Amino acid sequence: VAKTSLTSPPWPEVKLPDPVEEAKYHAEVVRKVNGLISAGHYGRLFAVVHFASKQWKITSEDLIMMDNVLGAECGDRIRMEKVLLVGADDFTLIGRPLLGKDLVRVEATVIEKTESWPKVNMRFWRRHNFQRKKIITNPQTVLRINTIEIYPCLS
Amino acid sequence: QHFRGRKNRCYKLAVRSVRRAFVRSTKARREKKRFLRALWITRIEAASLEHGLKYPAFISNLLKSQVELNRKVLADLAIYEPKTFKSLAALAQRRRQEGFLAALGDGKEPEGIFSRIVHHH
Repeated sequence: VAKTSLTSPPWPEVKLPDPVEEAKYHAEVVRKVNGLISAGHYGRLFAVVHFASKQWKITSEDLIMMDNVLGAECGDRIRMEKVLLVGADDFTLIGRPLLGKDLVRVEATVIEKTESWPKVNMRFWRRHNFQRKKIITNPQTVLRINTIEIYPCLS
Repeated sequence: QHFRGRKNRCYKLAVRSVRRAFVRSTKARREKKRFLRALWITRIEAASLEHGLKYPAFISNLLKSQVELNRKVLADLAIYEPKTFKSLAALAQRRRQEGFLAALGDGKEPEGIFSRIVHHH
């Protein structure tokens, strides 16, 4: 068959590496990372956590403010599940989409439960004598992330 | 800020301009979300172009490999964690190549079809 514009696909041809060698390489990498974690050769850990319908990139000794009320009193310790990503300087653990609970542990304490600054919500139509003014104060909670820990249970 | 000209001194003019300022702030609060999302998208596009990927390819391949990070966090990672962003770009690139291979299939021609080349003399 002659070569036309449609014989070969428009993307450049790519060859994937050998699956057997790839599996060996993956196992080696997993062993190395496990060794690093168990030996403790990491500095500051950062994590991406899904909390209060938002995703946050957090480290230890971090302050987080959310625009809602939690069912916890001031001074309560909270453990955050739903961790999406954990990383340090040399390695990152990417969850698909979440990481296991026996891998990561994120602890936080509730510090403050306040209200936001009074926001003005005003609607106005000209020439129609329509004016509504409302002052909204949202309840807010402030959390401090105490620690992020990882355990060497990769496979 | 705090109104220019006689709007900051005279009551009648000030009432009108303060009312417009309140209405504009309420509408802007709704548009701030759209604006921030566009900003994150431009940042992620720039960072992925540095690693040789375009933004739609990057995002679609990340979603297909079941990594559900939103744009805000991706933009923050691109700024503060370049190594992590590089690994995410490599993941997206690998998933893209696997998609191309899967789309090509076996490489054989479908049955029942013959190709004929017409020669014009």
